[in-house]
Amino acid sequence: MPSLRDIRNRITSVKSTRQITKAMKMVAAAKLRRAQDAILKTRPYAQLLDRTLQRVAARAAAEGAVSHPLLAPREVRTAEVVVITSDRGLAGGFNSNVIRRTQRFLTEDGGRFERVELATIGRKAKDFLRARKLDVRKDFTGVHQGLTFARAEAIAVEYTERYLAGEVDAVYLAYNEFRSAIAQTPVVVPLLPIPVPEAGAGAVAAVDFLYEPSREALLADLLPRHVAMQVWRALLESAASEHGARMSAMESATKNAEEMISALTLQYNRARQAYVTKELMEIVSGAEALK
Amino acid sequence: MALSLEIVTPERRVLSVACDEVRAPGAQGGFGVRPGHTAFMSTLDPGRLTYVEGGREHHLAVGGGFLQVADDKVVVLADTAEAAGDIDVARARKALEESRTRLLRLAEDDAQYAVDVARVRRAAARLHVAGQ
Repeated sequence: MPSLRDIRNRITSVKSTRQITKAMKMVAAAKLRRAQDAILKTRPYAQLLDRTLQRVAARAAAEGAVSHPLLAPREVRTAEVVVITSDRGLAGGFNSNVIRRTQRFLTEDGGRFERVELATIGRKAKDFLRARKLDVRKDFTGVHQGLTFARAEAIAVEYTERYLAGEVDAVYLAYNEFRSAIAQTPVVVPLLPIPVPEAGAGAVAAVDFLYEPSREALLADLLPRHVAMQVWRALLESAASEHGARMSAMESATKNAEEMISALTLQYNRARQAYVTKELMEIVSGAEALK
Repeated sequence: MALSLEIVTPERRVLSVACDEVRAPGAQGGFGVRPGHTAFMSTLDPGRLTYVEGGREHHLAVGGGFLQVADDKVVVLADTAEAAGDIDVARARKALEESRTRLLRLAEDDAQYAVDVARVRRAAARLHVAGQ
């Protein structure tokens, strides 16, 4: 039976834990709002870029002309998976979900490649993979601090160059896709070669554009931007997912702390009552003895 | 107001207005767009993009990208786009100076050469729009 003071100390300690989890939840909620905003803001550009690319590529494909190396799949020997996690923990299953999804990808699809390499963005991915004794070819550090499009572009450029140089034949991104504040889905999506835009009905407009300088040049300019945009989107989705996951993790931690506090308070009151009763009994029996 | 102009960057939607004319720094020289323009697509160089709205000219510094015209809708996918008020003049001036001095020492086939040429052009476009 713990003493009264022990229980009181535990209550204080759980209360301060609740304070912290509550604060973390608030911070995550604020950051989530900003991250969601950032996703919404990139949407117009992403959609317009996609539509433009589709128009140009569909038209080119329809005429059987122009193929760009970034569009053409080739025999895949070496593949690389870029795993995106957060730098910090305390976000529920956020980080382990991506890692597990990546491992599933490696066991299910890994057989198609001669070699699969791994790269990481975010400290947790590196730590997790190292702990599982997997080789990490490259670790992009500090991406999450002050997330900018320029940074995403730099990563995209690096992979585009390696792809064109033949060092890698397929690149995948593994990250948490943001569905809502409480739902994130880990996904593995192809980055390179660029999945050929589908030439659905009506995709080929009746009137062709005038291109300046030329359609090939335009395509060569559009595609790297498309790749950069994919990386950028993955980073933003991951950031929003991280804050969402942390928010719900901290929410349930706060709730647990509250339950614990009420259970402890009950125990404390009971113990105190028992103590008071015992005191009273002693006094009464003492008085009785004097009679 | 027969043209609709939309300017977006990877980070946000900059502008969506109705206007009468758009002038842009195309990769093969500047061009203008007025209502009834044929379907057209062009890459843009860093430079000054101007649109005319009710007789008033508005300028933006764009850092390269694409422009497409179809059905009197002008869509600009810019890498960056800033109006005069949003430009950090000190930063642009510093970038201009740095790259300019570096360019004097670089060979033309250096990989860094093209990077710095682009930087100079972006900085120059910003200063131009900011009226400096």
